[in-house]
Amino acid sequence: MSHLDPHAARNPWWAGCRDAFGIPAAVLVAGMIGFGALGHASGLSLGITTATTFFIYALPGQVVFVEMVALGASGFAIALAAALTAARFLPMTLTLIPQIPKEDRRPRLYAAAHFISMTSWAVMMRDFASISPRDRMAYFTGFGMTCWAVSVPATMLGYLLAGYVPAPITIGLVMLNPLFFLLSFVEVQARASRLAVLIGGLSGPIVYGWAPGWSILLCGLAGGTAAFFLDAALGRKP
Amino acid sequence: MEELLHLAPGSALWAWSILVGASLGTYAWRGLGVLLSGRLQQHSPLFGWITCVTYAMVAALVVRIIVLPVGVLAQTPMAYRVVAAGTAVAIMMSKKNRLVPAIITGTLLMMILGWLDPISLL
Repeated sequence: MSHLDPHAARNPWWAGCRDAFGIPAAVLVAGMIGFGALGHASGLSLGITTATTFFIYALPGQVVFVEMVALGASGFAIALAAALTAARFLPMTLTLIPQIPKEDRRPRLYAAAHFISMTSWAVMMRDFASISPRDRMAYFTGFGMTCWAVSVPATMLGYLLAGYVPAPITIGLVMLNPLFFLLSFVEVQARASRLAVLIGGLSGPIVYGWAPGWSILLCGLAGGTAAFFLDAALGRKP
Repeated sequence: MEELLHLAPGSALWAWSILVGASLGTYAWRGLGVLLSGRLQQHSPLFGWITCVTYAMVAALVVRIIVLPVGVLAQTPMAYRVVAAGTAVAIMMSKKNRLVPAIITGTLLMMILGWLDPISLL
């Protein structure tokens, strides 16, 4: 579109919307189609399956919610388990927002925070460095809103298509999501962050087998702290 | 919680009330992040530590989803997921800007392995 509208490229909000269409939207749509199919297979209604994308908007938590509701677990346990998988949003927000100039941080940031997802976070951590600080808030809002806006109808589509899509295709679509994040780790530059990815990734499945609900929090705090001090001990080097 | 509200487990209202709790519990982390970020300086040691914690958390979650998934992926053998993910990472590391071929290869490989199911033929 930028060649048709010369102002589009200069509008960071619009640039964010445009950049979201591509790999990020494809990854989300694929993941949400797979999730919609899971909601259908678990016997949940179309309304509540779609509402989890609208309101929770965090796939691991949504999967936990659907699986536990289908099993008829206690309501408190379900909400707690879903919320615990979302603990990552606290440090994710804390690493994202300070990169936005203070004067651009308005109360509406609390609304924009809902659009923080693994996808938008991974892309912002990679691309904020090449975006002028005063454009970052608008760029993130456009990008994040677009990702969220495509996810809701994709969930409905997955639910309605469930049963018509062959199982191997659904499996591939569901795999696309974690694959994208795994690949985004390869692009992480700072040594401390690379160490954190390595320690967290290796400990994740091990701790999960021992304390499923708390594994993310534990691996993050212990693994991240270990990586931080290991990087300091290794001395100055980029 | 549901005893207090007299909601029958399995009913639609029961599920919706849990959704409210799960949504608020998820947003709380995002909102708290915005609240606390006001005092955080980029380029401070604290910011560096939080960055490490974030990457460790996200990596723990992503690797767990691939190795020990719940939902649809749990029906596939771990070997398929590891082969598909490993191939994609190898392509990604082979050269710069290999995201698109890596992600397409990994996804197609997962679909083909799921379709042919070679382990069942052994």
